[in-house]
Amino acid sequence: MLSLKLERRGEVSRKFSAAVSGFFLLAGLFFASIIFELLGVSAVETFSRVVSVFTSQSSLMQAILRGLPIGFAALGLCLAFKMNFWNIGAEGQMYMGMTAATGVVLLHAYYGYIPDFLVFPAMVAAGFLAGGLYCTLPAFLKVKFGVNEILPTLMLNYIAMHFVNFLITGPWRDPRGFGFPLSIIFPPYARMETFLGHANFIGLPAAITAAALIFGLLQKTSIGFEMRVLGQNFEAARYAGVKIGRTLLTGSMVAGGLAGIGGLVIVSGMLGRLRPGAPAGYGYTAIIIAFLAFLNPWLAVPAAIFFGGLLVAGDVIQATLNLPFAAVQIFQSTIFLMIIVGEFFKRYKIRVVR
Amino acid sequence: MGGMTETEYLVEMRGITKRFPNVVANKNASFTLRKGEVHALLGENGAGKSTLMNVLYGIYRPDAGEIRVYGKRVEIRGPKDALKLGIGMVHQQFKLIPVHTVAENVILGLKEMGFVLDGRKINQRLGEVISRYGWKISPDARVWQLSAGEKQQVELLKALFRNVKILILDEPTSVLTPQETVVLFQTLRTMASQGIGIVLITHKLEEVFSVSDRVTVMRGGETVATKHVRDTNIEELVELMIGRPLLKIAPARQLSREKAVLRVSDLVVLNDKGLEAVRNVSFQLFGGEILGIAGVSGNGQQELLEAIAGLRKPVSGKIFLDGVDITDKHPWEIISAGVSYIPAEALRYSAAEMTVAENLVLKAYRNPEFSKKILINWKNVAKKSMDLVQSFRIVTPSINNKVGNLSGGNVQRLVLARELGTYPKLRVVLAAYPTRGLDIASTEAIHQEFIKKSEQGVSILLVSEELEELVALCDRIMVMHRGEVVGVLERGMYDIEEIGLMMTGVKKMEAKA
Ligand SMILES: Nc1ncnc2c1ncn2[C@@H]1O[C@H](COP(=O)(O)OP(=O)(O)OP(=O)(O)O)[C@@H](O)[C@H]1O
Ligand SMILES: [Mg+2]
Repeated sequence: MLSLKLERRGEVSRKFSAAVSGFFLLAGLFFASIIFELLGVSAVETFSRVVSVFTSQSSLMQAILRGLPIGFAALGLCLAFKMNFWNIGAEGQMYMGMTAATGVVLLHAYYGYIPDFLVFPAMVAAGFLAGGLYCTLPAFLKVKFGVNEILPTLMLNYIAMHFVNFLITGPWRDPRGFGFPLSIIFPPYARMETFLGHANFIGLPAAITAAALIFGLLQKTSIGFEMRVLGQNFEAARYAGVKIGRTLLTGSMVAGGLAGIGGLVIVSGMLGRLRPGAPAGYGYTAIIIAFLAFLNPWLAVPAAIFFGGLLVAGDVIQATLNLPFAAVQIFQSTIFLMIIVGEFFKRYKIRVVR
Repeated sequence: MGGMTETEYLVEMRGITKRFPNVVANKNASFTLRKGEVHALLGENGAGKSTLMNVLYGIYRPDAGEIRVYGKRVEIRGPKDALKLGIGMVHQQFKLIPVHTVAENVILGLKEMGFVLDGRKINQRLGEVISRYGWKISPDARVWQLSAGEKQQVELLKALFRNVKILILDEPTSVLTPQETVVLFQTLRTMASQGIGIVLITHKLEEVFSVSDRVTVMRGGETVATKHVRDTNIEELVELMIGRPLLKIAPARQLSREKAVLRVSDLVVLNDKGLEAVRNVSFQLFGGEILGIAGVSGNGQQELLEAIAGLRKPVSGKIFLDGVDITDKHPWEIISAGVSYIPAEALRYSAAEMTVAENLVLKAYRNPEFSKKILINWKNVAKKSMDLVQSFRIVTPSINNKVGNLSGGNVQRLVLARELGTYPKLRVVLAAYPTRGLDIASTEAIHQEFIKKSEQGVSILLVSEELEELVALCDRIMVMHRGEVVGVLERGMYDIEEIGLMMTGVKKMEAKA
């Protein structure tokens, strides 16, 4: 009788790892093409359009713009997960970042406290603080009462969503918006593209800087070291005299803050206003991206942009080839699934046993 | 030479080579096991003993070489294959599931092997085995509540329950009390007389002579010799292992007892189960003194050390360091005050996925030497790590190797290097079984290091079950039983027999340390 057996691999080389990833990416494209052919659409045609997303300048800019919010949130999650803090709440933290940034705009538009050029920096600060504080709440519960963070972070997502819905259907609704649940359109000084012509021109450098900062924080600073030890082994951290509460609160502040910045990019760089539907699950996608990047901050932003590209490609395929939205989602998921399968095979190998 | 002698071998391993990234753990190693023998496997830390036996147990696949079991060539692809062949292994680090009960741990995986399970019968059979060996564990106890020695017994139970013909024990006695060891050896002899072949990895040479039939010595991944125990002696084995004779321990010395460095008064500490583990313990530790704590493990020693280190909150009582009350202080403050702690289970307090260097500075990263404001100076860390790796002879391909990949004894060496070598002003060392898992040369080196440190004025609280170690090193020995101090002996008045009686609670002495 033949049977299959899993066997753990030891450590694998980088070359091997890259080869496996490449192979399964191709396999994903292959399976996706079978699906397209079954739907009666030429796979070659489809892929040339997917590739063109990454080669044509305007759609590449789109891909980057979509990837940025996910990238910021994923960076935060790299930090949180390294700390063994299972933050499922990036979505809610993005909502809070969007809300706070919008709040600053509205305050300024209605009351005009500060000069226009200070509004954007104030939005950044508010977005970071709001996302961060929203994430320290479950961290505080964990530190103080030993509550596991998974459920609180998840539930706070729904609270944030309903909070935003309340604001845009109520107090923050644009009075001249014909009753639609939308905030006012942000004035130019509150929009990212105002500064250098395109939101990416400040967004991308900012994301890369954030990646460098997170990398530096984790690898070069003592608090980052404490975070990594804590994530590795709670007992070891206690034993080493790490101040666990302080470390967790700081880390969750930064992690949530980055998701908040992601929310800021959505309202200030993409939508130009607060409106329902966003962040459209970006906060959950960021979880997958963080793992695809092996929690390595340097890889998080490129991985997010790659996914942003898939989102744009989905729109293109949908519009030009007249495919249903579900087909697009199948396409994206197939590729993701295969990449994850590849990760599995970096850890295990299968043997045929008699 | 005929078929007869060949089938007498339960196991023949020939030309085994096993490589890990940057390390050759086994080099053309050979090993045989006969029916009904206890075969000791000796060698320095990192010599490749665990790896060779992990190959036999199917955890690693060799890069070269062949394995025969019962004379037949086999490929062992995993522990399940090994179990099917009747090979069982008790590991250096326990492989138990802490939240499960003893019984659950024992039967885990049995079902797949075609055993029919009946809860009541199992508990009954377990109870029989447990009482046959004179153990005290209950089948319904949760494993996390057990002491190290008791966890070991569960591991043995697992193997006994699977009717193994070949039993590999990786340093089983390092966590056992002397009494438990005696019981274990009787068990092993009984098992051997029933035809079971037993591999005993150990660092204790007395054990080789008291229980084994043959002995194989490993060095640098190779098997350098296999001998009948009756044809060899300690000196020869030491030479084979480390290539030189051993140093001896320093003589007794005088020290003044004017000021207590550490003073513990009426301390009461609870264990994880919420029971009183330390009961009204009071003692003083003087400057440069080595104070031994003798006792069967699980009698409150660990809870006492954890309370002093700030890792466990005492219910009542006080702890003073240089006259300052440190009860309830954060562990970091106690570390900064110069109290180091060598815990009983090295890996439990290590970051196994992090590097040797990172684990070496697990506590010292805040020292000005290693961090300026918030930035860690990794260059200095690397320099210091290189020094420590050399002086404590940690066998590792580099300081960036993961600690989880080190051999058992080398993890212990790393902990010792950190606790003895990274404190800017070391005052007190709390040492629980510090030489557990170390080979004889390193054990000797650590003893020398303790004496050197104490001569520099560092005070050492040494928890050990090995009375020879305590007697050789300590200025005083305090005996603990059921969380209480049942006696204190001064150097010159040591009587191993008497200490043994106090450890088991038969005798008590009215004295305060
Ligand atoms: N999984 C692994 N990955 C990388 N290196 C390993 C691994 N396991 C063991 N090694 C290395 O192989 C060598 C032999 O290790 P092994 O555990 O067999 O030693 P040992 O003789 O059992 O030592 P000890 O007495 O300390 O337990 C060591 O240098 C160790 O670092
Ligand atoms: Mg070993």
